[in-house]
Amino acid sequence: MSNTSQFQQIANNLPNLALLFRWFNRGRHLNRIAEPVLWEELERNLDDYTAIFSALGSDLRLDGRGFAWFHQDDGSSNTNKATRQLALLFMVIFDTQADAGIPLMKFEHWRIDQTLLTTVFEQHQDLLEAEELDLSGLVSLMRTAENFGFARYDGGAWQLLPAVCRYLDHYEELASQVDQDEDVSWAGDQDDEDNSL
Amino acid sequence: MSSDYGFQQLVLLNSAGYERAELPLDESVSLIAPNNTGKTSLINALQYLLIIDKRHLDFGAHDKDKARRFYFPSNSSYILLEVTLPESGSVVLGCVGKGVSHDYNYFAYQGPLHIEEYRLDNGKLVTQPQLLEQLAHHGRTASFYSSADFAEMVYGGARRRGQTSSEFTVFRLENRKDANAYRQVLTRTLRLDKLSSGEVKRHLLQIFSRQLPDSVVDFKQEWDKAFAEVNQDREQYRAAHNQQTLIDELERQQDERLATRGRIIARRPLIDDGLQRWQNHYQTQSESLEHQHQNLQKQEADLLQRDRDQTRRQSELNQQLAALKKNEQRCDELENRFTLIHDRSQLEQQLASATEERDRQIALLTNAHGQSAVATDHQLRREEQELSALRKEQETLSDNLYLTLKQHLSEEQLSVLNRGLNRQLLTLSPGDYQLESQQLLQWLQDMPEDWFELPGLNLSVANQAPQYEQRSAEEIAQLIEDCQGRLRQLQEQKAASREMESQKKRKAELEQEVKSLEKDLEQFDELTQLQKSRPDRLKEMEVARQELAEIDQAQTQASAQQQTLRDQIQELINKRQALDTAHQEIDRIRQNRGDSDDQFNWLSDLPHTPWVGDTELPLDQLAQTLRDYQRDCYQLKDLDRDLHHRRITLHSSGLTKFQYAPNPEEEIRLMVEFRHHLAREAEALEKKARSAVVTVTASLRDLRGNLQSFENAMHEFNRLISRRKLSDLKVFRIQPVHESHLVEAIDLLIQTSEKVESGESFELFNQTSVLDDRQLDQARQLLIDEGSARHGLKVADLFRLTFELGKENQAIESFDDIDSAASNGTVLMAKLVTGLAMLHLMQDKTRNVQALCYLDEALALDAANQRSLIKTASEFGFALMFASPSPLITAHYCVPIQQMSNGMNHISRKHWQILQPLEAVKA
Ligand SMILES: Nc1ncnc2c1ncn2[C@@H]1O[C@H](COP(=O)(O)OP(=O)(O)OP(=O)(O)O)[C@@H](O)[C@H]1O
Ligand SMILES: [Mg+2]
Repeated sequence: MSNTSQFQQIANNLPNLALLFRWFNRGRHLNRIAEPVLWEELERNLDDYTAIFSALGSDLRLDGRGFAWFHQDDGSSNTNKATRQLALLFMVIFDTQADAGIPLMKFEHWRIDQTLLTTVFEQHQDLLEAEELDLSGLVSLMRTAENFGFARYDGGAWQLLPAVCRYLDHYEELASQVDQDEDVSWAGDQDDEDNSL
Repeated sequence: MSSDYGFQQLVLLNSAGYERAELPLDESVSLIAPNNTGKTSLINALQYLLIIDKRHLDFGAHDKDKARRFYFPSNSSYILLEVTLPESGSVVLGCVGKGVSHDYNYFAYQGPLHIEEYRLDNGKLVTQPQLLEQLAHHGRTASFYSSADFAEMVYGGARRRGQTSSEFTVFRLENRKDANAYRQVLTRTLRLDKLSSGEVKRHLLQIFSRQLPDSVVDFKQEWDKAFAEVNQDREQYRAAHNQQTLIDELERQQDERLATRGRIIARRPLIDDGLQRWQNHYQTQSESLEHQHQNLQKQEADLLQRDRDQTRRQSELNQQLAALKKNEQRCDELENRFTLIHDRSQLEQQLASATEERDRQIALLTNAHGQSAVATDHQLRREEQELSALRKEQETLSDNLYLTLKQHLSEEQLSVLNRGLNRQLLTLSPGDYQLESQQLLQWLQDMPEDWFELPGLNLSVANQAPQYEQRSAEEIAQLIEDCQGRLRQLQEQKAASREMESQKKRKAELEQEVKSLEKDLEQFDELTQLQKSRPDRLKEMEVARQELAEIDQAQTQASAQQQTLRDQIQELINKRQALDTAHQEIDRIRQNRGDSDDQFNWLSDLPHTPWVGDTELPLDQLAQTLRDYQRDCYQLKDLDRDLHHRRITLHSSGLTKFQYAPNPEEEIRLMVEFRHHLAREAEALEKKARSAVVTVTASLRDLRGNLQSFENAMHEFNRLISRRKLSDLKVFRIQPVHESHLVEAIDLLIQTSEKVESGESFELFNQTSVLDDRQLDQARQLLIDEGSARHGLKVADLFRLTFELGKENQAIESFDDIDSAASNGTVLMAKLVTGLAMLHLMQDKTRNVQALCYLDEALALDAANQRSLIKTASEFGFALMFASPSPLITAHYCVPIQQMSNGMNHISRKHWQILQPLEAVKA
């Protein structure tokens, strides 16, 4: 049995293959709660998908917390910028919520609306302006997050999706580093971040 | 540790590159051979006997067709397994090639496995066609089986053809449904390094889900089922709520319709009767009116005739009166004229004298004669002219032209002139002419005799008398005297005739006077006559005047009478018209009755409000009542139509729950009632919604309970796999982790339902109504989405498994994927232990039949771990086989593979080495 025909056979059983490939290839995350049907399909045929995607040169990763993505060792410069900005976005949001005493692990339940974004912006104005982001920039960044599968817009507000865990994990990792080494700043770690996403 | 029952040995004949292989399976084995010799091939051969289902056979890189050729090159290729079973002792399960097709056949029989029994007398292996015969020859009752039957047998499946199911049952499972899972795990136990986390989860679930009842929840269906009625009711409630004004209108119209019907029902017989009476009434009435009319007309005609007579008489009288007046006037006039005449004789005397004078005059005139005065005047004028001419001649007698000419001219010449010139001319005086005698002489000399030549005119004067003749003065004086005598005579004559004329005039005057006197006499007679008739005349006039006055009075009376008559007639006409108008209208309505529709015949069967009105219908009210009735009929039809439309509108706006009422009237009644009780309906709706929440969460509670049971089972399972230490791990467990969004949604719904049940939180009609709770709705939607993605929610969807590993003095770490959790060897062990534990769980633990598991590349494990594994496997009921290029001393048997000169492999019982563990020896 040749590889091509085997590939064909598998592909025929995966009606959403093209869709999922395009989805992931754009750097978009797939979240179980946002896309239960696609998720179920991916989960059910995980081995086949992993095999086919790796044959196509992509590394499908699936996190048990309910999200999946194509892992990239070195992102394009475009992704880099977006990634860096998203890191900043989530950081300021998490920071704002933490200041308000809201438990971070339940971030999926937050309603990220204009009011919250305004608060976030006011509290991190310096940082954001350094990145040339104003309030509307913050809003359009939320849209970028939506495009990458980190958030969804529903009922007049955004909801963060489990894929954000990737950033959260990273912050925690950094925080533990900060604990060890007091002098590590966010800016200095941005390159690391790019590579990991 | 070896069990009394279980796998005894595996034998390959003429298969997988083995000419013959005998492998002990009753204890742990270390299979020894260099790489690429046939260790894995040997153990894989067992798949044919244990996995059976072609779909699940797995030869790694080799595909199944290739494997078939490899294992069954000829019809004397055999894979044989000897198992000792508690029910039937030793049994042989076998698989034999069928030849060129490389297909194979299952067979089984009771009895020990003796390889010699497969050898024919000629030393060759028996072929498939002769197999049963050959075995029978050795007293073995073998049968061929289809792979399905064979599988059923081995896994204790259905009883067929009266066989006892346990005869060849190797694996007795606690639950027969596990066979599939068991086989899959078993496949993996042959190659446990391939066991993935996903499979672990799937199998564990499969195993545990057997204990969990009713494990799939179609949440959407549950929800829809529970809320179907609520939603329907709510739709109805909302529709009615939104359409309140419409329903109010519906109610009003329906009331009106009922009342209208009642009126129509009550009035219809009255009207029918009234119409009949009307017909009579109309006829009598119109006849009577006609009669009266004629009477009055006759009276009017009479009156008119009388009036005409009177008028004629009036004019007669007036004429008569005028004539009398004229006579009277004449009388007055004549009296005036003859005031001075007292007696007729006076007049007669005057007449007689006038007549006498006239007659005298006539006689006078008759005597007068002579020429008329005119002729005398004429003659007088002629004589006067003659006289004047003669006087002139007398004056010029001494010096005139003639005389002058006579001096200058000859007699003849003068004569020419005289004849040529006017007679009077020659009598001109000297002042009246100029004479150039020389010239004249010349001229006359040049003329012929008796010719008077003028320039351009030659006149013959031969026959002309000379114009002038010179008279003598005496002659002239004589002539003048004659003329004067004639003149005197003529003037006397003229005076006489003038007297005659005035006499005639006098006569005419006298005749006139006679006539006038005669007339006076006549008129005097007339006066006398008139005076005489005066008294009669005056009386006559008085009578006439009186009569005229009477006529006047009568006429005044008649005109009043006439007016009265006219009024009466007009009144009659009006009555007649009113009657006709009423009749026409009644008739029109009667011809065109609004209650001709069918429905009016059974109107009293329809719901209506009884009418309390007059039960009698006077004829004068008939038309009005009829109009009212007619209007009612049309209104009823309008109402029918309106109500129908309103009802349809209500349907289309969603209020359909009463559509199945026995009739539309009833439906309307129910709609109205529903609208009046909306508040109560809302309450009931809320109650229903609450109980629906409770109902729908029942299945979620089951699901949630099952998750709990699963977690408990996993706890047990972890206890099982933690019994013995794996590698350097202090902790190794497989932990279910909730899919929190789902579990939280379920919990939220369950909590809600608990609150609802205890009636704690929801107030009616406020924002937190159970129907409108946003969070609740999100939770519901989430469960529906997930459920529909997965064709119903199962316990398995509520969690994922993570592998938790903890080394001594280190924090426990969790991994989604077991392969990444630790070193190769450790992972290998973890998988093996997990797999065996699962198989163990599936097996009927009261029946101890030892099976086999296989660990390839066993050198990855150190001796301590090898021993630990062997023990663990044994505890779970498995003998462990290691495969490695060099011997492992922890195993019971050491079995090397002999490679023969013909390239075939060979394992013989004789090469088996039995090792005694040092610990065991020490112990
Ligand atoms: N199912 C099969 N179909 C066809 N050929 C097979 C099959 N299984 C094994 N072989 C062949 O048999 C030979 C022995 O292979 P096998 O995997 O049994 O060796 P091994 O002793 O397990 O080696 P290693 O120590 O490297 O694992 C190889 O040439 C292999 O190609
Ligand atoms: Mg091998």
